Amino acid sequence: MDPNNTSYAVKLYVYDISKGMARQLSPLMLGKQLDGIWHTAIVVHGEEFFYGGEGITNCPPGGTSLGQPNSIIDLGTTEVTEEIFMEYLSSLGESTYRGNQYHLFEWNCNTFSNEVAQFLTGSKIPGHITDLPAEVLSTPFGQALRPLLDSINIAPQGGNTFNGHYGQR
Amino acid sequence: MEDNGGEDPVNNNNNTTVSSEGSIIKVTVKTPKDKEEIAISEDASVTQFKEEISRRFKAKQDQLVLIFAGKILKDGDSLNQHGIKDGLTVHLVIKTAHKAGDGASSSTSCTSQVGSSSGSSSGPSSAAHSSSVGSTGGPVSAPPQTPNILTGFGDLSSLSSMGMGSANFMELQQQMQSQLMSNPEMLSQIMENPLVQNMMSNPDLMRQMIVANPQMQQLMERNPEISHMLNNPELMRQTMELARNPAMMQEMMRNQDRALSNLESIPGGYNALRRMYTDIQEPMFSAARDQFGNNPFSALGGNSDGGVQPSRTENREPLPNPWGPPSSTDPSEGGGGTGTTGSSTAGSTNPSVSNPLAVNSASLGNGMFSSPGMQSLMQQISENPQLMQNMLSAPYMRSMMQSLAQNPDMASQNPASSPSTGTNPAQQLMMQQMLQMFAGGNASSQTPEVQFQQQLEQLGAMGFINREANLQALIATGGDVNAAIERLLGSQPS
Repeated sequence: MDPNNTSYAVKLYVYDISKGMARQLSPLMLGKQLDGIWHTAIVVHGEEFFYGGEGITNCPPGGTSLGQPNSIIDLGTTEVTEEIFMEYLSSLGESTYRGNQYHLFEWNCNTFSNEVAQFLTGSKIPGHITDLPAEVLSTPFGQALRPLLDSINIAPQGGNTFNGHYGQR
Repeated sequence: MEDNGGEDPVNNNNNTTVSSEGSIIKVTVKTPKDKEEIAISEDASVTQFKEEISRRFKAKQDQLVLIFAGKILKDGDSLNQHGIKDGLTVHLVIKTAHKAGDGASSSTSCTSQVGSSSGSSSGPSSAAHSSSVGSTGGPVSAPPQTPNILTGFGDLSSLSSMGMGSANFMELQQQMQSQLMSNPEMLSQIMENPLVQNMMSNPDLMRQMIVANPQMQQLMERNPEISHMLNNPELMRQTMELARNPAMMQEMMRNQDRALSNLESIPGGYNALRRMYTDIQEPMFSAARDQFGNNPFSALGGNSDGGVQPSRTENREPLPNPWGPPSSTDPSEGGGGTGTTGSSTAGSTNPSVSNPLAVNSASLGNGMFSSPGMQSLMQQISENPQLMQNMLSAPYMRSMMQSLAQNPDMASQNPASSPSTGTNPAQQLMMQQMLQMFAGGNASSQTPEVQFQQQLEQLGAMGFINREANLQALIATGGDVNAAIERLLGSQPS
């Protein structure tokens, strides 16, 4: 590793937004075991970044209303500096990760985490997280709940958004 | 030049020569906004790569930042060195002239807005809001006009502290409001500002501000009493006196609450209270709720445990109960007396605007529902009434609630012991019923006849020979034989 470049640790914070309910109820309701409903966020440069109904948001690590993460996955290190990263996020926030594009199954926090993880380190986030929507949708229950779920935006409170135009709705 | 056929002649216009012409590889270059495939020699250096990219993306080379596998590609490196091969993706960030300032500044703008404006212009605005908050002792209680005032005046204040880029004034106002609401100290500080006090002593100005707000106007239309109140200078002055002196205000509040509870004990008084509440407070609260997440009262520190609150919660009480603990609250009894708040079991939370069900998550149910999952769900639901509404408006939810309400027994045998679901046919049935409903009522795994086979036989043995009717009854009661029998007996002519 070049002595000139500092590398920054990149971690993936994984939260179970069902707080254990999914683990208990999923075999009953879905017919298959899901250990959790995963919400992820990328933690780098001492800040936590995630995507939700309000767009890309950042906060101190573990600072959302979800509290401390269920697990922390080490994604490696990156040389991307904070400045470049912020540029990158601003561009993303204006183009492909605006708040109104949020979709619980198809374009969600995990999609974002995956993309940012690849940008920062070149590696993807664990498959069991990104495969979750497909798993749920493959059950009759998931299919039936789909209209309800389509309308939910997960937006944990406690952060600042990167919408580009502050206050734009 | 010579060998590389129809591919993009990367090295054609370059002065620098490639040491050896390796094969061309196609590398995808991805920016946040789009991506392009760039063909380049695999032995090329990063500089050459950047040249090609700058042409394609129409950006200057020094604006380009290339990232691969977490490393920033420096000009001196070669693509080979980083292991960039055919078909791989390299990330690109194009540095804009004004850097990353936008993102950072807009996120800090709200806080600095609060900071700067709290000095000068927010003084009067918060004065306005607290004056309205101080309700008078008159027969018609002056409900909190908090958010309305601030919005009316807030426009001016944010104008004066402009310079926050593309900040949306409404947003800023709201931010300021919520800051103020959540920080009572700041409020009292502001109150002590002599400028503020000056403002407050001018009733005309106050009145003007209040009336200027469109929400206020609407309210005034609906409730002429409010406009009467506003037009009464004596009353206004008293209100402002109150507002100026927070201690007096608290005293007022307490007196009012005491008066309210006295009213309650007078025969017929409760109804009067209720009427008063629904006429006045409810629209106020809904107006307030739109702007705030929190209860405007909570910032005052008064003892707002008056008799009016339960009348709001008791209507909604049945909702959390179907999931509640088997022993305590019962859906049908939910309505209850005046004194009970939503969660009559352990501990009570004062209902607030954000928590209209007065759901104390901790007290909601034992068994499965004391799991943190359910608690947080309940909390989320209570904090976001919209979510609750969404949930409930789904058709199947309603029918589920209905069937659960019909079968309090079923509800009480809640699936807490989910591992042992198999042993309890009634639970299984309920689950299946739920699934049925979710799936639109038709796609159940078994037909009702098969499901209720056992029960049907039982009923048959007891002498109910009408299989059709039995089946109907069983479906309606969700497989509960006893309840089915009652239904059957009730419907039979003799």
